[in-house]
Amino acid sequence: MSGRQWAAAALLAVAGCATAAAPGLLDFSADERARIAAHGPWPPPPAVDPGNALSGRPAAIALGQRLFFDARLSRDGALACASCHQPRRAFSDGRPRGLGRATPDGPVDTPLDRHTPSLLDAGQQRWWGWDGAFDSLWSQALHPLLNPREMAAEPARIATLLRSDATLACLWRRAHGGPPPLVDGNDADHLLVPLAKSLGAYVASLRSGRTPFDRFRDALVRGDHLAAARYPLAAQRGLRIFIGRGNCSLCHAGPLFSHGEFGDIGAPFFVRPGVVDPGRHGGIAALQASRFNLLGAHADPPPPDTADPATKTRHLIAQHRNFGEFKVPGLRNVARTAPYLHDGQLPTLDAVLDHYANLSPDRLHADGEQILKPLQLQGNDRADLLAFLRSLDSPATGRAAGWRAGGCG
Amino acid sequence: MRRPATAAGLLLAAAAHAGCGDTLPAAHRLLTDARPDAGGWQVAFAPSPAPLPAGRHVALDIVVCPPPGATPPAMLSVDADMPAHRHGMNYRASVTALGGGRFRADGLMFHMAGRWRVIVDLPAADGAPARRLTREIDLR
Repeated sequence: MSGRQWAAAALLAVAGCATAAAPGLLDFSADERARIAAHGPWPPPPAVDPGNALSGRPAAIALGQRLFFDARLSRDGALACASCHQPRRAFSDGRPRGLGRATPDGPVDTPLDRHTPSLLDAGQQRWWGWDGAFDSLWSQALHPLLNPREMAAEPARIATLLRSDATLACLWRRAHGGPPPLVDGNDADHLLVPLAKSLGAYVASLRSGRTPFDRFRDALVRGDHLAAARYPLAAQRGLRIFIGRGNCSLCHAGPLFSHGEFGDIGAPFFVRPGVVDPGRHGGIAALQASRFNLLGAHADPPPPDTADPATKTRHLIAQHRNFGEFKVPGLRNVARTAPYLHDGQLPTLDAVLDHYANLSPDRLHADGEQILKPLQLQGNDRADLLAFLRSLDSPATGRAAGWRAGGCG
Repeated sequence: MRRPATAAGLLLAAAAHAGCGDTLPAAHRLLTDARPDAGGWQVAFAPSPAPLPAGRHVALDIVVCPPPGATPPAMLSVDADMPAHRHGMNYRASVTALGGGRFRADGLMFHMAGRWRVIVDLPAADGAPARRLTREIDLR
């Protein structure tokens, strides 16, 4: 335990001694309180899209928001970012797998290979995509935009749209300081990169609100046991399992309830018979091959005296165990983002608990982590864990923030 | 788990390296275990940011303290793992030699809480064998 963590634990212990536990509050130990405190505070500082100098700029966010909801970016006008990342569904779509096209010219009616992740708090993550194939929000935005099975965008058509639509052209000028560029020939990076950075700036602005858990956590930290006792006992018991014998917080760590890396939880990863999703193994290969990663020429340098966001990309290594690993998702608003896992194979949180209760070590890779053990659920444990997970919902969030067009109509 | 060390070995090592890495910030300076098989070598390191965090990239300022009569290596390598979990880091540290037995390792990340083992490998040189020096750290 570091010095700071000891100090925090000591402070919490003192707070615990100073005020007798209130009725309705479990007798959390100093160690448990320190573990609970580590899941906050919330909200965190505003997120910054790595390598994106436009991140945080209102004009870029306003343009990105407009583009996010505009299906005209897709080749046939059938698909916008918001078609799958729906604000009323916590910027997910409620389907096991996102819908796309079987062929580039086909209709949007075919399940893709993976579940559509929520974009709330996406800016707080380290890697994007279930396989972490992207090291910035803006580079991730290019994938569905250009993927023939998704939006299948044609850059020349987008350039024409941006120049012909007065509102978009106005927003572009405000965000980028000039008119939308023309696209001539195959080189379209000078259009696509600033467009993607506008989308990245918008997505980085999508934040979830405070939850019942956050209010409990903060009350516990400041020693206000009466306020802490307003948190339902079932959720307290579920939290105790989550940070204790359930070992959930080992991977679902920190304020986001994710350590930001990848894991193999023994879930089947067949896309269809005979075809597997390599997960992180493929994601690292794709990332390292991409000209849009943070080591490439399109990434903006970080502001002076700030950490270099490309450190993660520069030092990343591919390992055999990455095969079948997928990103550990954050759990904020988890009850609102069913179904679950990288391909939506588990329809409910109950099914997720069943998965962990019935883990088979034989299904985990031979060289996998020795962390996962079957979750022992007894008595009210299941209901308590569900009560805790549901306390991570922030019902007020999910609405698209209204970034003003600034006189652009 | 840490290997057991003999009292005599520990005393000798402690005497030899009482000031190992004393140019590093004292509050955050860590020493590799002084085991008999370390041959009198020891490494001191200090993380940046400090104290050592979980889930963030960190750099280590490193000082190699050789036994009497030996000279520090020109280069070394740094890694870390979680023996109980049977996995290492997801990142490979890069090391820069700063001269005089001082090094800087960049790009480490201890991505989860638990017991980590920092591994410093000194290459074989001048007829001396390669040596692995370690230090276990509990991260919360």
